[in-house]
Amino acid sequence: MRNPWGWVALTAFSLLFFTFIYAPLFVIIGYSFNSNPVNMMIWEGFTFDWYTGLFGLSDRATGVGNRAAYIESTDQMLAALRTSLTVALFTTTISTVIGTATAIALARYRFRGRGAYNGFLMMPMMMPDIVLGIGLLIFFVTLGMQLSLLTIIIGHCTFLTSYVFIIVQARMAGLDPALEEASADLGASEWTTLRKVLLPQLAPGIMGGALLAFVISMDDLVITYFISGVGDTTLPVFIFGMIRRGVKPEINAIATLIILASVIIAALGLWLRSRKID
Amino acid sequence: MALRRQSVILGALLAPVTLFLGVFFVLPLLIIAVFSFLTPGLYGGVEWAFYHWNYGRIFGWADGIMEVYEPIYLRILLRSLIFAALTVIVTLILCYPVAFWVSGLPDRWRLVFLFLITLPFFSSLIVRLYAWLLILKPTGLFNTVLMNLGLIGQPLEILYTPTAVVLGMVYVMIPFMFLPLYASVDNLDRAQVEASLDLGANRIQTLVKVILPQTLPGILGGAVIVFIPSVGNFIVPDVLGGAKGLMVGNLVEQQFLSSRNWPFGSALSMIIMAVVLTVLLIAVARARKVGGHA
Repeated sequence: MRNPWGWVALTAFSLLFFTFIYAPLFVIIGYSFNSNPVNMMIWEGFTFDWYTGLFGLSDRATGVGNRAAYIESTDQMLAALRTSLTVALFTTTISTVIGTATAIALARYRFRGRGAYNGFLMMPMMMPDIVLGIGLLIFFVTLGMQLSLLTIIIGHCTFLTSYVFIIVQARMAGLDPALEEASADLGASEWTTLRKVLLPQLAPGIMGGALLAFVISMDDLVITYFISGVGDTTLPVFIFGMIRRGVKPEINAIATLIILASVIIAALGLWLRSRKID
Repeated sequence: MALRRQSVILGALLAPVTLFLGVFFVLPLLIIAVFSFLTPGLYGGVEWAFYHWNYGRIFGWADGIMEVYEPIYLRILLRSLIFAALTVIVTLILCYPVAFWVSGLPDRWRLVFLFLITLPFFSSLIVRLYAWLLILKPTGLFNTVLMNLGLIGQPLEILYTPTAVVLGMVYVMIPFMFLPLYASVDNLDRAQVEASLDLGANRIQTLVKVILPQTLPGILGGAVIVFIPSVGNFIVPDVLGGAKGLMVGNLVEQQFLSSRNWPFGSALSMIIMAVVLTVLLIAVARARKVGGHA
């Protein structure tokens, strides 16, 4: 750098930028331990009450002061978490299988319409989620399908397949086709080559795609919001509903737990990626 | 024989995605198009009869009897476009210098900061928006700090304003702008920058003539990826925006979940889709042109 002051200014700007990104998350974490139930801004003391309250273990309910009302919402929250996990597991499995198959087909075979397929697979990712959400809602209702876990899973797979496809395709691009040619020359069938040569090499990409699909599925709000049945609230939809009804200290505790979970998942993803390089 | 076997496997690999997206992606989009031309029925139903006044209500050819033209719809559409454009501009201004800074760091630190950029992408959208709700509230962190410092006497009204909406969108869209930008900044030919400075071009000239053209693909890519989800966003304006922050996504949501006028909601969605396709077509055409020059 020719101008040291320029670099100092740039560094200062960049550090402010990262503060801007992270400060809000730390605000939530801080508030989640503040025992003041009325004004979260005024520090009253350190407490775990909002965490224990989440699991129905604390008598301190905000506003209502009613243990029964509390436990009910705890049950709803845990049910929402269960729904989210179920949806994410099924969605991840389905979209990973379909996305991987598609990536292999488009990378290893030459056929007419291949470019069009590539473009077409971008569409579900580029389509605003509200459009996809209401499209699926009209579709399911017109068909007379009951909104349920199944409709949420279908909805998530429509766009997550494309995400998996992109990640696996990127991994395919880095592979050496000579290995597969060697396998074919040595008499292995197409299917054997696919299974024994291609898939093991693709494994890190497939894992990465699956992880991404899992994370996005767990976090999806808009599409789920339109196509979930009455009893099948996912965690983001549940939190959205809570926020709409007003800010309560328990939300800080849930939010902190979610931030913690996402840091763990992101670290896991990073670890997977670093293994890929070996 | 070999050829036949290959096409069987190819078919088996492609059938799932074709069937799945054909039924659950293409058909729903077509159904929106159909519904946008149907007659809204009483009590939230639809009648299968052609009806173009769903669009007339928005664009001004409503008959004034069955449907009334309300300029507010066009205003909200225009506002959505402006908010999305502002989000693109602000994220670009914030991310561009930082991309240079991160790209110039030693390897080890570069990876750390790249990880820090992608981390929020893994954490919940609704949680991140909720944080801003806490910060911007009249009794929130921002106002409390400013009042304690004596800078303001009254809490500022930020929450439920357009500023809050754009701020929230900028916040959630930063990773989407940063990553494509970073990719092109990292590929920048630094020797050319040095050469330009050595040959007597000043900083501004070097930026405009050398750096900007080379990083243009990243800028355009980031702009498209940020603009598209912003224009149809309804979560951010729902959580942080008031009546003045309402966007077209909120209108769509209302038509489907409270007013129950599905054909009108479909017409509004068709407009969002048209905007998105236009942006994508421009981006593709532009990318072709840039690619052709290279």
